[in-house]
Amino acid sequence: MNAAIRDCWLGFSRFVAAFGAFQIFSFRILPYLPKAVLRPRLITEQIYSIGALSLVLIMFGGLFVGMVLALQSYNTLVEFGTIDLLGAFTAEALVRELGPVVAALLFAGRAGSAVASEVGLMRATDQITAMELMAVDPIRRVVVPRVIAGVISVPLLAAIFSAMGVLGAYLVGVHVLGVDGGAFWSQIPERVDMTTDVGIGLVKSFIFGVSASLMGVFEGYNAAPNAAGVSRAATRTVVITSVWILLLDFIVTGLTLPEV
Amino acid sequence: MLAARSPENLVEIQDVRYSHGERAVFSGLSLTIPRGAVTALMGPSGTGKTTLLNLITGQLLPDEGVVLFDGRVVCPCSRRRLYQTRRQMGVLLQQGALLTNLNVFENVAFPLREHTKLPEQLIRQIVLMKLQSVGLRAAWQHMPSQLSGGMVRRVALARALVMDPTLIVYDEPFVGLDPISKGVIVRLIRQTNDALGITSIVVTHDVAETEILADLSYLIAGGKVVASGTPQDLQKDKSDIVQQFMQGQADGPVPFHLPGPGYAEQLRTMTAA
Repeated sequence: MNAAIRDCWLGFSRFVAAFGAFQIFSFRILPYLPKAVLRPRLITEQIYSIGALSLVLIMFGGLFVGMVLALQSYNTLVEFGTIDLLGAFTAEALVRELGPVVAALLFAGRAGSAVASEVGLMRATDQITAMELMAVDPIRRVVVPRVIAGVISVPLLAAIFSAMGVLGAYLVGVHVLGVDGGAFWSQIPERVDMTTDVGIGLVKSFIFGVSASLMGVFEGYNAAPNAAGVSRAATRTVVITSVWILLLDFIVTGLTLPEV
Repeated sequence: MLAARSPENLVEIQDVRYSHGERAVFSGLSLTIPRGAVTALMGPSGTGKTTLLNLITGQLLPDEGVVLFDGRVVCPCSRRRLYQTRRQMGVLLQQGALLTNLNVFENVAFPLREHTKLPEQLIRQIVLMKLQSVGLRAAWQHMPSQLSGGMVRRVALARALVMDPTLIVYDEPFVGLDPISKGVIVRLIRQTNDALGITSIVVTHDVAETEILADLSYLIAGGKVVASGTPQDLQKDKSDIVQQFMQGQADGPVPFHLPGPGYAEQLRTMTAA
């Protein structure tokens, strides 16, 4: 019994320590954010590395999620005689919920783990130490451009994910299931509101972008300087970011649904 | 009571105590690094040579005592002041630690781009000059993965020199190098020191290279300086620990067997049942 209580206490202490370290790390980044825009090349390099290189995964992910969404919703919509709403239904689900969440989860798996590994390997091979010894703060040079790139990339990737999802739903709905093409497209602007649906989707993907990119650099920066440490940092990034994204999604969704 | 600093010394370590957890690494270590000289810090593996380097560069904070660089305490201080101090130092880490996503030219140009607003043309001139001084101007477009271990260290030396530091610290610069590469690095350290009038600290356990290279050597063991002087002085020192180190004897004051329980007792307990 005592051992169980001690283990719980130890686990809780570790969690508090890690959470505190994450807060301190985040606050160290803040002063460098305004100055980072003066060196846009560092940011664009990272946008290419973590954003553009995630594009294929995001596009295929969006396409297939949209196709599945059309197949799954078809029978229900037919039952209620509202098959013309297929386009609006899939677009709303994608723009408001699935786009930001699934794109952020895919981003965490592809780019978050890559950032954690890259920064962790820089730690293990003394590149971070070398920068510190050259009087160059690695937070400014390594961490900040990656965080900004992540924050810019995730909303864009979420938008592309949603667009591909609607395209996937169109292909299945119109060309396979025989839904009217005009009805499919015309219902979307009727039902999808730019302020509430698109706006909330953007806010969500911005929050998820901050979380995913911060977690990747935090885990990599604090990785143990060996192979196991780098591997653990990548794994922890994906696991923690995924849970964090789903939790934040619940909170943001709850806060933005006034009727609940 | 700390000793008064001497202007002849660039680095002064005064009565430094430092522990890794329970283990005392330094227990009252004092030494001075004279300006313009190549000083070797030697000692068996695990005596804290790299820890001493970390104390000099402000990566670690001594538990007691002070480390002075050019008359000023290195640490504790603000990050800004620590970085100002480090701008006067060049550090060559054990494996070179080149930035793997940049080519040779960009690695050497890195401190200039981060700390100065020099025009691109001038940066190119300075970088090519530094690469020429280490004999690797022709490799300016190579990536670090295309270089041998010796070449990596030469590029790292060019990078350490690019801001014209007052002090250069070399951490185990000869580890893992073939005799030719070792000779090249020895020559470069000596030439750089004399031509630029800088001060060099070489953390090493290579006795042969130190004899050729160093003006002054410190032998550190058991958390203290056990001998100092020119490498020739150390060769003449008759104390057991100095002789064991200089002659490369396997057993002596630094025992071959790690201290632990008796062999017979351990055999009995671990093979029982």
